[in-house]
Amino acid sequence: MRPGPLLAALATSLRRNLAMTCAVVVTVTICLALLGAGLLLRAQARTVDRFLLDQIEVVVDLRDGLTDANRSALRAELAADPLVTKVTYETKKDVYERFRRDFRSSPDVVAGIGPDDLPASFRLTLVDPRDAEEIVYAYTGRDGVEAVRDQRALLGPLYRFLDAFTLGAFALAAAQAVASFTLIYTMIRISAHARRKETAIMRLVGATNATIRAPFVLESALAGLLGGLLAAAVLVLAKIYLVDGRFAHQTMFPLFGWDAVWTAVAVVLAVGVAAAAGMASVALRRHLRV
Amino acid sequence: MIRLASVTKRYATGSRPALSDVTLEIGVGEFVFLVGPSGSGKSTLLRLLLREERATAGLVEVAGRDVARIPDRRVPQLRRTVGCVFQDFRLLPDRTVAGNVAFALDVVGRPRHVVRTVVPEVLELVGLAGKEKRFPDELSGGEQQRVAIARAFVGRPRVLLADEPTGNLDPATGSEIMELLEDVNQAGTTVLMATHNAGLVDAMRRRVLELDAGTLVRDERRGGYDAGPVTIPDQRTEPVRPAGGAAG
Repeated sequence: MRPGPLLAALATSLRRNLAMTCAVVVTVTICLALLGAGLLLRAQARTVDRFLLDQIEVVVDLRDGLTDANRSALRAELAADPLVTKVTYETKKDVYERFRRDFRSSPDVVAGIGPDDLPASFRLTLVDPRDAEEIVYAYTGRDGVEAVRDQRALLGPLYRFLDAFTLGAFALAAAQAVASFTLIYTMIRISAHARRKETAIMRLVGATNATIRAPFVLESALAGLLGGLLAAAVLVLAKIYLVDGRFAHQTMFPLFGWDAVWTAVAVVLAVGVAAAAGMASVALRRHLRV
Repeated sequence: MIRLASVTKRYATGSRPALSDVTLEIGVGEFVFLVGPSGSGKSTLLRLLLREERATAGLVEVAGRDVARIPDRRVPQLRRTVGCVFQDFRLLPDRTVAGNVAFALDVVGRPRHVVRTVVPEVLELVGLAGKEKRFPDELSGGEQQRVAIARAFVGRPRVLLADEPTGNLDPATGSEIMELLEDVNQAGTTVLMATHNAGLVDAMRRRVLELDAGTLVRDERRGGYDAGPVTIPDQRTEPVRPAGGAAG
């Protein structure tokens, strides 16, 4: 069919089916916004990961009263370890200063700790931060060593939080996808019923299956596109107001950038259009005899 | 143009076949009435020609093609060679007269300039010039059927199937529609018309095929609605044209 008559058929169908199409757009929007949110959470986990892999250090806390000689010996041993690239010694005072800097936004925490409460330590930069566990295993319990801390392990709860929310967002998106499919299925059924005279005539005069189905698939794809655009708007607004506007002031971790948002937007739009058109094609097999 | 050889059509639910061992042949350019009581298989026969149904047994040929062996994606091509008119007109109420006729061309992808020239020509032919912008509910039954014929004819099909086209019309209007179908036939289109309208069949004196309980009981060259003295119920008369002339 030429674009003109095809668009006319599409417009008629949309007009007749407005309420149903709106319902589809709303569900698709929610579904795609959740999908986008999941993608952004995953991007955030990766951003944090990248940041930490650069910065992460293993900290060897030293017992108070360790002699200078023993300390030098330990330092030499650490420096000779092939997994370690750099060893820095921090006195109790250095450690306290760092602590005050890291927790400057939580004065209550700082107030409760004095310079003497924190141990002097070696900070180790590793060749590959993922080998931290091996270092922890090797040096824990050595003479003069109070504890070996993998800073990355401290972030376990953060990773679990991000993972859980990502999974939750994807699961909710899947549930919404089911709801969207049900609605699109119903929309096609109603639409096919409303246009049964037209499609019967199309069949009789020799229109091809593709021509008969095209307006239905387009209608659904358009609803998918609208839902995708609305979901994209939600993601962009969330980035501006929620991520940059609020979270950026509350966390010391870097947050995902606009490139992650645009990637999510592209995925959301593509999935919206393709899935809606695909769902419509499935529904048409059931409801439109051609 | 149309050939059926030993065609039987059995529906899953029916106790007896809708069509039973029907053999007939209709040549290019013929005008043929298909008569018989309700349930005798007339509509089934038309549906077989459109590949709306498939024969249970036997051969159905339209324009030289074995209908059963046309692949699904080629069925639209078959339907473009076979126009259809129905008792209930089947017009789209939200489209104008011209819109209804143009629809048949639009949905098969004909270019706009073709649609723009062909539609007025066909409306002129069916006597609806000047009513292009009317909607179906503003037309009389006879005019609506003219629109339906225009729509069926606008793609220049080689065969026109008419299922009770005068069934909803008064006798005078029915005669007008018959004249129009004759014009279509004169233009070279083979016309097969299923009807209960005895008056029209008797007046026209065209070839008559009569079905009864799925069996072809009469094939008469210049028949009336009821069997005349020349009919032998259990023995078909010869088709009007020989087999060789019908193909293609």
